[in-house]
Amino acid sequence: MKKISLMASGLLVLMLAACSIETGKSSPEEADSLLKSDWKSVTEEATGQEVNMYMWGGNENINRYLDEWVAPRLQEEHDVELNRVPVNDAQDFVNQLVDEKSAGKTEGSMDIIWINGENFKAAKDNGLLWGDFTGLLPNFQDYIDPEAPEIAADFGEPVEGLEAPWGKAQFVLVYDEDKVKNPPKSMEELAAWAKENPGKFTYPALPDFTGSAFIRHVLYETTGGHGQYQQPAAEIADLDKRMEPMWQYLNEIEPYLWREGETYPESLAKQEQLFASGEVWMTMSYDPALAASEVLKGRFPESTRTYVLDGGTLANTHYLSIPFNSSQKAGAMVAINEMMSPEAQTAKLSPENWGDLSALDFEKLSAEQQQAMNDVDLGAATLPIEELEQNRLPELSSDYIEIIEKGWMENVAKD
Amino acid sequence: MSQKIKPYLLLFPAVATIVLLFFGGLFDGFLKSLGYFPAIGETRFGIAAYRNLLNSEAFWDSLALTFRIAALSSLIAALLGAAMAVALFMLQASEKGRSSRFWQRLFQLPLTIPHLVGGYIVVLLFMQSGFLSKILASAGWIDEITDFPVLVNDSFGWGIILAYAWKEAPFVSLMMYPVLARIHRSWRDVSRVFGAGNWDFIRDIVLPVMMPAWTIATFIVFVFTFSAFEVPFLLGVTYPSVLPVYSYQLYTSGTLADRPEALAVNIILASLTILLGLVVYYFSKRWNVLRGWDG
Repeated sequence: MKKISLMASGLLVLMLAACSIETGKSSPEEADSLLKSDWKSVTEEATGQEVNMYMWGGNENINRYLDEWVAPRLQEEHDVELNRVPVNDAQDFVNQLVDEKSAGKTEGSMDIIWINGENFKAAKDNGLLWGDFTGLLPNFQDYIDPEAPEIAADFGEPVEGLEAPWGKAQFVLVYDEDKVKNPPKSMEELAAWAKENPGKFTYPALPDFTGSAFIRHVLYETTGGHGQYQQPAAEIADLDKRMEPMWQYLNEIEPYLWREGETYPESLAKQEQLFASGEVWMTMSYDPALAASEVLKGRFPESTRTYVLDGGTLANTHYLSIPFNSSQKAGAMVAINEMMSPEAQTAKLSPENWGDLSALDFEKLSAEQQQAMNDVDLGAATLPIEELEQNRLPELSSDYIEIIEKGWMENVAKD
Repeated sequence: MSQKIKPYLLLFPAVATIVLLFFGGLFDGFLKSLGYFPAIGETRFGIAAYRNLLNSEAFWDSLALTFRIAALSSLIAALLGAAMAVALFMLQASEKGRSSRFWQRLFQLPLTIPHLVGGYIVVLLFMQSGFLSKILASAGWIDEITDFPVLVNDSFGWGIILAYAWKEAPFVSLMMYPVLARIHRSWRDVSRVFGAGNWDFIRDIVLPVMMPAWTIATFIVFVFTFSAFEVPFLLGVTYPSVLPVYSYQLYTSGTLADRPEALAVNIILASLTILLGLVVYYFSKRWNVLRGWDG
């Protein structure tokens, strides 16, 4: 036994030593020179590279769009191979990058990551992202207005070229029009609706992304609008007191929720299952076309519709970024540029593929490109893009989101 | 000399992997639970995370729930498993035949199903809008699907207990069956000569023989259910959650600065599991479990 432990510890030391020896495939200097080179040499370097894209893999449509629409075109036009690596939550690969950074691993396996919001902030604060690369991308130069507020800041965090916009999302509420005649358009109406229809409304338990977004609407409506929260949370002295009406509201509706608020669905997937089987009559999504694609799949009833609140709903942009230790940075840039092309964005807009809103500035597209986007059939369940755009609310920065998610456990879930 | 060292050499890759990945991870978690986290610039050691945990109501609620669920799950699995094993044994003793093999296979079926799938099956069958509830509603036994009893995501944890009892009972019977198989047929005949019926035979001979293996199997189930994640995550309630789920909630909802607390939960969980494991080991040594009895 002693021998074994000696050997094992010897091996441990050896392995750890091996971990810290740096392989010199693409040194930091080389990567920086890539940031200074022109697009032509980037595409030349990208030829033949194999790129790993780490992303949330919980949606079949998104996965299919990448595997069947994006990947073959990249392979054909640029000889870049795209491997999609599904993860359960963006936080997982941010955690992994933190560990790789502290272990000094300069040759990571991630080349593209799909992030936004608090994960972007965590990655930026811990120096996990490669650098200011978006200005190099031709499609970014042609079709994006870098000064636009929804592009320049990600959940209140300045983007600084570290990530490229891939698409836009907006929060919508989902209901079955056969069961719900007048869907509640404000928090006040929602409380009344829940009392009239006990057990038919709920939201996913925080820290679920969608459940957390729902709570932010409650915060805006019960505490007097979003304007006051456009500064760092630490600068609001009486924040706890200001949030009080939100907790009161949530506790007031709790007894009228699904299962009397004793428990909440642990994930959006569970909530969607409850909606699909008729146990609850409403659900919600941060993806305005999700309901339409679920109807296409036959999971949601044909009578499913979506709507936005009278006071507007949250909207945000999601991005693609390149980690500091990607070993295929040129290939990653070519792939990201390709995913930002008007053709790829138009294909992404169709609910059959994904139904994700385009990240491009509509005004910068040519007449034909605009026509192509307008011709996409969004399905009966999806709201027209104008209606979404007229009802957009800015997102909260992630320091608030952390406070809210912790507070929810304490103030709402616990009793 | 080379003969002596050979088995160790052959074992080395497996042992090294386990030591590096398993104990390495555990050790790393232990350091982080003490607040040592160089990636975010924390290099001091302290027990703040443990102090916060032990002072939080959520932790104690979670610990109590975890104990209750693990105890009930292992108890029910133990009773079911024992009943299955004895029934199979008696079946085999009374007739040589194919039917006993069929029953054996049937009882072992849950062993082949992963816990995650088992948990999800329970969700689909027993949720209020689930399979059973819809059948009962369409048959007119209940008026509304909401009349169906709440068995999934209930605050007592019946859904979790149900899933584990179903899943672990075959494991218990599998652990006991070899011991029972050592009981000679002739003993049964002898007991008959002395006028013992089926029940007397089970009480005076079968039970004492299987007791040690039974206890150990139950303990193993207890330790497992105490530290498993997926079934309680699917079937539990938002609050309180069992310790592994509580740790996951801490790990995913906070910032990097909350990491030590999440890992402290894991370390406490691991320590309790090791303690329970030592208890099992001690008794199994004492009782010579796999031999069943001295002789």
